Amino acid sequence: MSHTAYKPPGAPVELEADYVVVGSGAGGATAAVTLARSGATVTIVEAGPFRDPPDYPHSVYGTMRDMVDAWGSNFTRGRAFWPIVQGSLVGGSTVINSAICVRTPPDVFDRWDREHGAFGKDFADAMGIIQDELERELSAEEVPPASMGRHNLLALAGATALGYESHPTRRYVKACAGDGNCLQGCHGDRKQSLNRTFVPEVMARSGSVVSCAPVERIVFEGRRAVRVTGHFRHPRTRARGADFSVHARKGVLVAASVTQSPPLLMRSGVKSRALGKGFRAHPGAPIFGVYDEPVDMNTGATQGWSSMAFREQPGFKLETLSLPLDMLSGRLAGSGPTLMNRLTEFRHLAMWVQACRAESVGEIRSGWSGRPIVHYTLGRDDMLRFREGLVRVAQTHVAAGARAILPSIHGMPYALAPNEVGRLKDAPLDPRAYVAILSHLFGGCTMGKDPARSVCDERGRVHGYDGLYIADASAIPTNLGVNPQHTIMALARYFAQRILD
Amino acid sequence: VIWLIKFAMLTMMPRTDSLPGIADTDVDGFLRRMRLDAEPVYWLGLVVGALVFVLTPLVTVGVPLPAFFLPHKVLERHAERLVMHPVYLLRQAVFLVRLSAGMCWGADTGVRACFALAPYSPDPGTFRER
Repeated sequence: MSHTAYKPPGAPVELEADYVVVGSGAGGATAAVTLARSGATVTIVEAGPFRDPPDYPHSVYGTMRDMVDAWGSNFTRGRAFWPIVQGSLVGGSTVINSAICVRTPPDVFDRWDREHGAFGKDFADAMGIIQDELERELSAEEVPPASMGRHNLLALAGATALGYESHPTRRYVKACAGDGNCLQGCHGDRKQSLNRTFVPEVMARSGSVVSCAPVERIVFEGRRAVRVTGHFRHPRTRARGADFSVHARKGVLVAASVTQSPPLLMRSGVKSRALGKGFRAHPGAPIFGVYDEPVDMNTGATQGWSSMAFREQPGFKLETLSLPLDMLSGRLAGSGPTLMNRLTEFRHLAMWVQACRAESVGEIRSGWSGRPIVHYTLGRDDMLRFREGLVRVAQTHVAAGARAILPSIHGMPYALAPNEVGRLKDAPLDPRAYVAILSHLFGGCTMGKDPARSVCDERGRVHGYDGLYIADASAIPTNLGVNPQHTIMALARYFAQRILD
Repeated sequence: VIWLIKFAMLTMMPRTDSLPGIADTDVDGFLRRMRLDAEPVYWLGLVVGALVFVLTPLVTVGVPLPAFFLPHKVLERHAERLVMHPVYLLRQAVFLVRLSAGMCWGADTGVRACFALAPYSPDPGTFRER
């Protein structure tokens, strides 16, 4: 078992393994553990630090500082600047998400097959078997009733009153205590984030982890990927540390995230017309309900309720999402005494969100400083879908007994009475009117048969190169309409198994 | 520039009869920490936001003066109109100021007590070093 963290400038750190995995999030850690279980030696190289539950922050400030990539300052370039939220630490976004476990819907496989070629029934069957395994390994279970919290129970009641399907969320959480701090890392260590599960298993199987180590370049001999290089970066001071180089005897798997994997391949000289193309997302936005009795939305599972009833048509998913007090002022409209008066209602607020199954396609480029630049704007059809999702959220609040709805939409009143919710149907279709975030990201190194339209094939191999594989959500060629962690992990395991075949 | 950002934050989150304002928290310490901790691009965004706040009374309340010189009530009106301004870039520029002010305010023990929330333990800021 070995872990190498930040090293100050000095002698370069040189390591060697059968496989080098760049990134330790849902894709990277799952690919790594799959390879390690076969007896291969694996080195995971992660840009962020290795934090355990005693290291987890409590406040939003600490979360931004210690866990979120670039303080959440990555945002889309387009009509609107929407933040892109990703984890940057060992375990990646699995440390700061709600560990939601949704199987890949069958229509997604059909679409991949139809639009990107030759995935077929065997592929879908194999993914299903892998998802069964992952659910067992990571203790997937529904939020227990005692951990639901009032904000989730209200959503359940609202959906029931409106007669649409919804349910307690199924997550990779063992015996959730309902602490309501999933997004700051689970201090109770109930969430099966991959820094607590697969990464330690890789280390226990003679693998190693290099943390605080953003990879700058993949080095090739001819067309074969043979090593990754970079220099350590201190997680607090951002000081440049020693150089590192990790030699890969058999292959390099890139799983640095949708925003980071394409720029890494670009910096490394990989030639592909499809590189950086095909970026997609599920833009999410909230609607608050104000209730007579305190809701205390930070009590209970952060995202303990969800509905897939509208996933296929019109194309959105509904979820609860509790917001800490120290994040709320960025979400409520107003300033000065007006804002302060609105904040007094904090205990009576419930925030539920729609995540839009958007068909708009963007592009990822590498900026001059190496930072990713994401060009992305929602088209009109997606904005119609997006707005319809918000209307449905508002209607659910009303059905659950909310006395007012807070749309958080520029150009709309701050609050709507229950009988005014219909006005949301006329809300602007301009993305700039909304404060949305992007947390479910896809594409940039998409998989497919045709090298002109894809970066890697259906086994994760980068077209035209040897020993170079993609193993994260950047390979996913379409949106899913559901939370992607389960699909990303299954795909990474599928690719790793094909490497071992 | 810390005083510039603080000025904008104090205007956006003032003390009221029912709640402490950001002036009742350790906003100076918060901003000093943030200057060291934040990604340079985040800090730059915050500084730009504070500059926009100070320099735009002309477009919000029609007064060709920096925000420092506005009477209290006019300053409040300037802040209110700026965060709701029809020009996207203007209201977006001050978004980070409001967000960061909320991080400071909402993490304060006294503020949290007003909402029956337990105080935050310190953020350890630690990581595996070997």
